[in-house]
Amino acid sequence: MTKRITIDPMTRIEGHLKIEVEIENGKVKDAWSSGTMARGFEALLLGKDPRDASYVTSRFCGVCFSVHQLASARALDAAFGAQVPWGGTLLRNLVMGAEYIYDHMIHFYHLSALDYIDVMAVANYKGKDPALNKVKEKVVGLVKRGDVFPLVPRYEPDEFSVKDPDIVISAVKHYLDALQMQVKAKNMGVIFGGRAPHYQSIVVGGFTQLPDVNQLARFRSMLDEVAQFVTEVYIPDVVAFGTGPLLPLAKAGIGGGHPNYLSYGGFEMDEGGKKLLFKPGVIVGLNGGMAVKPFDQKKITESVRYSWYKKDTPKHPYAGEQIFDLKRSDAYSFVKAPRYDTVPMEVGPLARALVDQDPTILGLVKNQGVKPGAVARHAARAVETKRIVDAMYGWCDQLTTAMTKPGFKIHDTAHWNPPATGEGAGFYEAPRGALGHWIRIKDHKIAGYQAVVPSTWNASPRDERGKRGQYEESLIGVPVPDPQNPINVVRVIRSFDPCLACAIHLIDPRTNEIRKFIVE
Amino acid sequence: MGKVFDGLSRRDFLKLCGGVAATVGLADLFSVEKVAAALESAGKKPPVIWLEGQDCAGCTISLISLEDPTPASIILDKISIRYHETIMAASGSMAEKVREDTIKEGGYVLIVEGSIPSADDRYCLVGGKPFKEIVQETARNAAVIIGVGACSAFGGIPGGTPSKGLPVSKIIPGKTVINLSTCPVHMDHLAGTILYYLVTKKAPPLDKLNRPVMYFGTLVHDNCRRRAHFDEERFLTDWNDPKQQDWCLLQKGCKGPETYGDCPIRRWNNGINFCIDAGAPCQGCSEPGFYVKHSPLYAMGPATDRIMARKAAGLIPKKEIV
Repeated sequence: MTKRITIDPMTRIEGHLKIEVEIENGKVKDAWSSGTMARGFEALLLGKDPRDASYVTSRFCGVCFSVHQLASARALDAAFGAQVPWGGTLLRNLVMGAEYIYDHMIHFYHLSALDYIDVMAVANYKGKDPALNKVKEKVVGLVKRGDVFPLVPRYEPDEFSVKDPDIVISAVKHYLDALQMQVKAKNMGVIFGGRAPHYQSIVVGGFTQLPDVNQLARFRSMLDEVAQFVTEVYIPDVVAFGTGPLLPLAKAGIGGGHPNYLSYGGFEMDEGGKKLLFKPGVIVGLNGGMAVKPFDQKKITESVRYSWYKKDTPKHPYAGEQIFDLKRSDAYSFVKAPRYDTVPMEVGPLARALVDQDPTILGLVKNQGVKPGAVARHAARAVETKRIVDAMYGWCDQLTTAMTKPGFKIHDTAHWNPPATGEGAGFYEAPRGALGHWIRIKDHKIAGYQAVVPSTWNASPRDERGKRGQYEESLIGVPVPDPQNPINVVRVIRSFDPCLACAIHLIDPRTNEIRKFIVE
Repeated sequence: MGKVFDGLSRRDFLKLCGGVAATVGLADLFSVEKVAAALESAGKKPPVIWLEGQDCAGCTISLISLEDPTPASIILDKISIRYHETIMAASGSMAEKVREDTIKEGGYVLIVEGSIPSADDRYCLVGGKPFKEIVQETARNAAVIIGVGACSAFGGIPGGTPSKGLPVSKIIPGKTVINLSTCPVHMDHLAGTILYYLVTKKAPPLDKLNRPVMYFGTLVHDNCRRRAHFDEERFLTDWNDPKQQDWCLLQKGCKGPETYGDCPIRRWNNGINFCIDAGAPCQGCSEPGFYVKHSPLYAMGPATDRIMARKAAGLIPKKEIV
């Protein structure tokens, strides 16, 4: 017997997402992912000063706030012909590194962990650790007062949930500690970024704040503290979960989906950007020994076959048209369906690690029998957090050296004014995956703007060929023994770190014509 | 001075309620005894429903950006977050039921993040329901309603889009909405306003746009540390030049002379920095014109021309040191 269940709203993600699944014999047989909120940034940006774009598009998302600002600034850099000085690039790297650390921590502890632990098991903790007993007191206190919100209600813990009081209580303590630590990581970014969410200091051509040695010293000292948490708490927690209670989920590759991975690469490691922390590339299918092919942006198209826009054939982001059509009964999402060379892709930390041939993640896959899936995504996120922390020390050193040289620069002031015409693309890796912004300039104003963001790739609906998007595909076969308690479904979806406000930003790629709306 | 409640001293509390506390008499209002007594007599934690409409979750991230009180103490000790899509454990109909139950119970704090689409209800559905209906039915039994961020206070960025995002006040006429209108909401404004309500059971004094006077009573310009350079017309043109580093940002598009807010005194993110100190112009994110009427953001335009005309007419006199 087939049973259809709907999870709406899908919580503990950014944005508004509806997930529908069809269950047969205790497993997901089919799935649909729908974005249910749209704003429409295009009418705002068309005809505006191009420099506005990096500030406005930062507001796509307040969780991964400034990576849009950065991708947008990079598109503008290209369109303006601006050469960002090395000092400006280093500062961009540092604030973006801080954003990654905070974002990944929040994802693991505050958005995902509640799906894997039975919080109430802390009541059974019998140990003597004073700090852990304080946590026990806190949670038991909440229970006694009859107010355990927002930790309940919840889906019931299942056979994969961690119930061992010793592990659970330390995880809950780390949930609380990480809440503090993510504040620290944001504070660190704010030293140069101005404020968070939504940094202020990334603009076309570089950066707005000349750093001084005190700020750098403060940044580094905070980095020490955050790095210690990443190394001594975050990574060990992910390892403990992944090699312990979640090992069966990891080895079964629950939540795997299409074995196709895309990364645009990011984080310049040297002046000129020849060496990147994350390499760009594409993997199509895992059968060819994960052969990484070069990335070619011309192969990106977006389909609106099942999206609430006027019907059209798949188009490259520069050429696609976006006219809402809310009447279409065959559509089911505001998210479009990007494809690479007609194929659906996964983007994000796991894709980055595989494309980059990261030895730790490859080792897990090749030697430990872990299959790409929900647990592998958490592992990849933790591993890359450490890589970024390490790289940040290098950028601090490089900035210290650069600052002492005469003529130290953070901004290409010669290219500050918008050109009469131009176009540019800005590619970057957001915490959630491959992010691209495209801009066209005419008469010194924005004539076209488009962004294809990570959650558009992952959360996309089906395309012309009926191929499911990655959320949908990753749910196929996921065990749901009790339809009233679809905990595995939310585990899989959350492993992608969904960000739906980003996915549905609706910026028009084309002309400056007034948008047409087809409304009933 | 003893702790008022877990993790929050009287000094911190006053700091949150306004750097300008003395001018609005808050120091008297919040004696330690009064605060402690009010919180104790409350008995249980006040329920909070936090709705997200056409939002970016930036205001949610602000909620967890304070060092003192800590995010953990806000979320678990100070308030009872019954419904918040980004934080709560429950999903789907289970989550919606919590909201419905809390509405029946009544007396909760309602916080709205994001605007409400007016072009068509289908631009924002949660649990299959138009967001507008959700706000209206949740507002009915709320004890106090707070609009966080530019979108819910004045329409913000979605207000200028084809989905025509409306502020909360427009869809629940007759109810007072406290507008904390910066983009995103300032973490101090949010925590301070909640605490103010918990202690006094009323809204803080509001300006004509329903923003708390304790936060929006002065112009950014009046407290800007670059003010003297504005007075002398020294404007920054090159971010690389150490000599210009502290000069006025007007030619980079600063809207500070027309923007109300306490950013230069309070700064952001636990006092670490804020836009103008980071060399970035104030974009007037707390004002109703944000964003459309504030473009171009990084160049002289209608707003900065207006400011210079007023300066030339002697309407923005040099700041005197008192």
